[in-house]
Amino acid sequence: MKPFAYTRAHTVWDAVAAVSAEPGARYLAGGTEMVNLVREGQESPDRLVDIGDLPLTEVRVHGRGVRIGALAKRVHEHPEVRRRLPVLAEAGLSAASPQVRNVATPGGNLLQRTRCHYFRDVRFPCNRREPGTGCAALRGVNRNNAIFGGSEHCVAVHPSDIAVALTALDAVVHTHGPAGERVIPVEELYRLPGDEPNRETVLDHGELIVAIDVPPTPFAARSHYLKLRDRASFAFALVSVAVALDVRAGVTHDVRIALGGVAPRPWRARAAEDALRGRRFDDDARAAAGEAATTGAKPLPHNEFKVELVRRAVVRALSEVEGR
Amino acid sequence: MTSTAEPEVGRARLRKEDARLITGRTRWTDNMVLPGMLHMALLRSPMAHARITKIDTTAAREMPGVIAVVTGQDLAEEQGSLPCAWPITEDMKAPDAPAMAVEQVNFAGEAVAAVIARSKAEADDALESIDIDYDELPVVLDMAAAIADGADLVHENLGTNRCATWVYDSAEAGSGGAIDDAIAGAEVVVERTYRQQRLIPAFMEPRSMLVDPTGDQITMWSATQIPHILRWMTAAVTGVPESKIRVIAPDVGGGFGGKLQVTPEEIITFLMAKRLGKPVKYTESRSESLASAHHGRDQIQKLTLAADRDGTLRGLKVELLADMGAYLRLVSPGVPILGAFMFNAIYKMDAYKFVCTNVFTNKTPTDAYRGAGRPEATFGIERMMDELAAELSMDPMELRRKNWITHDEFPFTTVAGLTYDSGDYESATDKAMETFGYDALRAEQQERRDRNDAIQLGIGISTYTEMCGLAPSRVLGALRYAAGGWEHAAIRMLPTGKVELVTGTSPHGQGHETAWSQIVADQLGVPFEDVEVLHGDTQSSVRGMDSYGSRSLAVGGTAIVLAAQRVLAKARKVAAHMMECAEDDVDFTPGTFSVKGTDRGVALADVVVHAHVAHDLPDGVEATLDSDATFDPENFSFPHGTHLCAAEVDTETGRVRLRSYVCVDDVGKAVNPMIVEGQVHGGIAQGVAQALFEEAVHDESGTLTTGTLADYLVPSAADLPSFDTSRTETPATTNPLGVKGVGEAGTIASTPAVVNAIVDALRHRGVNDVEMPCTPMRVWSAIQAGGAR
Ligand SMILES: Cc1cc2nc3c(=O)[nH]c(=O)nc-3n(C[C@H](O)[C@H](O)[C@H](O)COP(=O)(O)OP(=O)(O)OC[C@H]3O[C@@H](n4cnc5c(N)ncnc54)[C@H](O)[C@@H]3O)c2cc1C
Repeated sequence: MKPFAYTRAHTVWDAVAAVSAEPGARYLAGGTEMVNLVREGQESPDRLVDIGDLPLTEVRVHGRGVRIGALAKRVHEHPEVRRRLPVLAEAGLSAASPQVRNVATPGGNLLQRTRCHYFRDVRFPCNRREPGTGCAALRGVNRNNAIFGGSEHCVAVHPSDIAVALTALDAVVHTHGPAGERVIPVEELYRLPGDEPNRETVLDHGELIVAIDVPPTPFAARSHYLKLRDRASFAFALVSVAVALDVRAGVTHDVRIALGGVAPRPWRARAAEDALRGRRFDDDARAAAGEAATTGAKPLPHNEFKVELVRRAVVRALSEVEGR
Repeated sequence: MTSTAEPEVGRARLRKEDARLITGRTRWTDNMVLPGMLHMALLRSPMAHARITKIDTTAAREMPGVIAVVTGQDLAEEQGSLPCAWPITEDMKAPDAPAMAVEQVNFAGEAVAAVIARSKAEADDALESIDIDYDELPVVLDMAAAIADGADLVHENLGTNRCATWVYDSAEAGSGGAIDDAIAGAEVVVERTYRQQRLIPAFMEPRSMLVDPTGDQITMWSATQIPHILRWMTAAVTGVPESKIRVIAPDVGGGFGGKLQVTPEEIITFLMAKRLGKPVKYTESRSESLASAHHGRDQIQKLTLAADRDGTLRGLKVELLADMGAYLRLVSPGVPILGAFMFNAIYKMDAYKFVCTNVFTNKTPTDAYRGAGRPEATFGIERMMDELAAELSMDPMELRRKNWITHDEFPFTTVAGLTYDSGDYESATDKAMETFGYDALRAEQQERRDRNDAIQLGIGISTYTEMCGLAPSRVLGALRYAAGGWEHAAIRMLPTGKVELVTGTSPHGQGHETAWSQIVADQLGVPFEDVEVLHGDTQSSVRGMDSYGSRSLAVGGTAIVLAAQRVLAKARKVAAHMMECAEDDVDFTPGTFSVKGTDRGVALADVVVHAHVAHDLPDGVEATLDSDATFDPENFSFPHGTHLCAAEVDTETGRVRLRSYVCVDDVGKAVNPMIVEGQVHGGIAQGVAQALFEEAVHDESGTLTTGTLADYLVPSAADLPSFDTSRTETPATTNPLGVKGVGEAGTIASTPAVVNAIVDALRHRGVNDVEMPCTPMRVWSAIQAGGAR
């Protein structure tokens, strides 16, 4: 492990200044991801700037929705989150283990790195970790990899559960960076790998997520997260579906469907949404949405099953949310 | 203590060791800190098969805190070859097994260099500065390919990847007829090939060791299951006299066979401490553990079961390929052979043949893992019984009933040559069937089939037995095993009235301290609390064969009874002397000696003091009542039981949900029913893990891709239903306690119960097998393939 310096930041501006000033500096929040990355060698920062003391821990309900501080812990237990944003509460609860959830932060969760085996095992080439070395997953065991949005340089999936839920809620992140403040929709936070898989997000170096805002929407309250995985706890999604639904008089007025475990970022299934909008919310419509959700899927040798799983999971998530 | 007290044996006592284990106020090897202690880190090969062309350690030596850096070359003179104690055949091929690779690495995870530094972090950091070049060699992964002509070789000098072929033939052994005749004469022959996937024992406490060379004896603390064997083998491997070695297994956090090993890490740590004259500690990381501690299972089973149309079994032919991995560890070659006696299970048949070929591949060595050979066998036969039942359109339980040994036929010598002393398969099965609600579930199954429900229901049966109480030494000798199977116990009657029991068993989660105290308390009539159980230190526990193979109670527990009887025999002499009567006139009720027919008596505690001070002992009686005994069983013990599993299979996603799980186990007399239940629960969970979740996966380069607990899917409580466990008690006749052993039962029984349930749910859709682990993907693919037929 490469030695690194450690700084504790006391204000947002201190933090931003400290990281911006040094190309090799990185933020440290709960550390559940960063510490592993440093120990295993996927990251070798020169400095870690600990943001754990920053006053970004609140979950607040206001006229413009729910604001979640970047350092708020166990957001899924918050009564207002559970009531207003069930999909987010369910996604948060489905992630990791109680021990990890006690320490992990939403900001860190959004910026966790892929769990692709070949990214995590530093003995393998990986364009995401070391640009230009190649992608071992393309010819390796790629059961867990992407069926949407991959490229010939990278087929990793983004592992975050809450990012999928937040995408279905039209959430945005607020950032403070060297160039000032920005608001970025969660869905647009992530870049697709293309030929630069190492550039994972649109954030600039030193840009700090300070909060996540979930706007009031007519579909947030009737929402649901379905996570399919190899074991019932402590496992990342093979496929997950976040649905948020506004049905009026039996007709789908508006809907959001986002998929997890299938793409380098939360994957908005727009074709599936279109298959529902303006139609009666019935079995046929749900089946059509399931079918549409697989549009454009490009499975790899070991993950063809994910296409079918997406189709069925979408139908099931929509059926399960219906009763709510 | 009065004689009316409730017996200790049979009481569901809380475990006395748990308070310290749960609160962490105890000694794990890694907790220990000695003055001047150094830390070791190991560099492991990323390659599965390669020649080492260069190792440059210059930069690493100059790193801060580094005391020494060694490579296989540096250790070559001293490290010898790791022991394999079970050369199953005369012509078995055994490669040299250096603790640290010298010229060539043969599996990914093999140690290639060690750094010793003042801190663990400094040692880890310095590893990165070691410069190694490898010349890649072709990687041998597939067993069938490995034994084909012209295959690439794991060990060039052996000239083959075939390690050994071992055969049991009932015609030759005289325990039955010829298999070919049985097959030729049978009306129905079912042939299947099953894969027992590779598993990782995944014990919670990583392997850890600390070696202190200070003084005349070298002391090694190790998280091991086998302190006694480790001491012996460390001497044999390194040439250090055994009398100069002391091994201590302090509290050990799990093993499941995974710590029934003499590990490369132990030998390297031992040699480094000896060389540097300083205590050296090594504790592996979780990923090191998953990649380099031995794996289990990994067999291809080709099975041929022959029967008549009415279901009467005729014969069974078993052809196995067993993956040894790259080296032979302590008992690697013998693990599949333990299954040789179990494939015929509880069934009667005319003929049986077992042929096993052990094969080398460039993977982590395999060795004992909970059940060792017997889960593989039980899986094979219990799956085949279901297949045969389907072939005959017979109820699978009916088929089993028709063929099993009935309770009035015991003792029964099987077609594999073992004599089962006792058993009552009918009672256990009847009890299980009733609790399970078999008929109602069958009706629901039919109903779901009829309406083509997306959720299909399956019922899985496993009526297993196992051979436990390893093992009669003469049988081990006949099987070419290098050691004996006896066990030792010593009882020290302290003058203060307390009792120390020294056992040769080595618990690592089983609760021996509690169960052994219960046995001693009953035998001697002393309070449970007054018994202290000592184990795991070769200096206090001077003889022992340690814990594995469900042996500790059946063999070690019996040694305790024998030692207690010797204590009492001696005490009786002293008591007679104290009461001035003839020895024959002395009566013993727990805790007290009395003169027959009188109210004269002395308490055992007084006899203990009398014997200890030795002021006035009868002629020929030595001071103290301390006694010991060694027990070597005449036969194995044979726990059995009936496990029933109801599984819901979602035909749309392939997901399996276990709805209910009922088992009735017969482990003989239960010394502590709560411990028995704990073992059964944990065992079932581990067997279900094989059926549904766990698999060590290697990619084409031989890299383990399930090298973390995020990828190697050890299930949690959330994945399992609540188990309905109960017991019947048919005492074993081969030991005075009537006990059989329970450590492996659940694991052996549950895997086929679950897979049978899954296949049963889908059989009407043309499915007759799902390869383990039965993940949603595999189940779903099987449904697609079945429907296509
Ligand atoms: C065993 C295990 C299982 C897991 N399972 C799941 C799962 O099932 N589903 C799931 O979604 N997640 C899972 N996770 C991931 C877990 O949720 C993340 O590790 C955690 O949320 C990261 O938060 P943290 O505060 O610890 O981040 P850190 O480790 O501190 O940081 C992670 C990254 O984010 C950056 N960062 C942190 N905060 C900010 C900020 N405010 N602004 C800008 N950059 C920031 C850091 O620089 C770093 O690059 C699992 C993790 C573990 C260890």
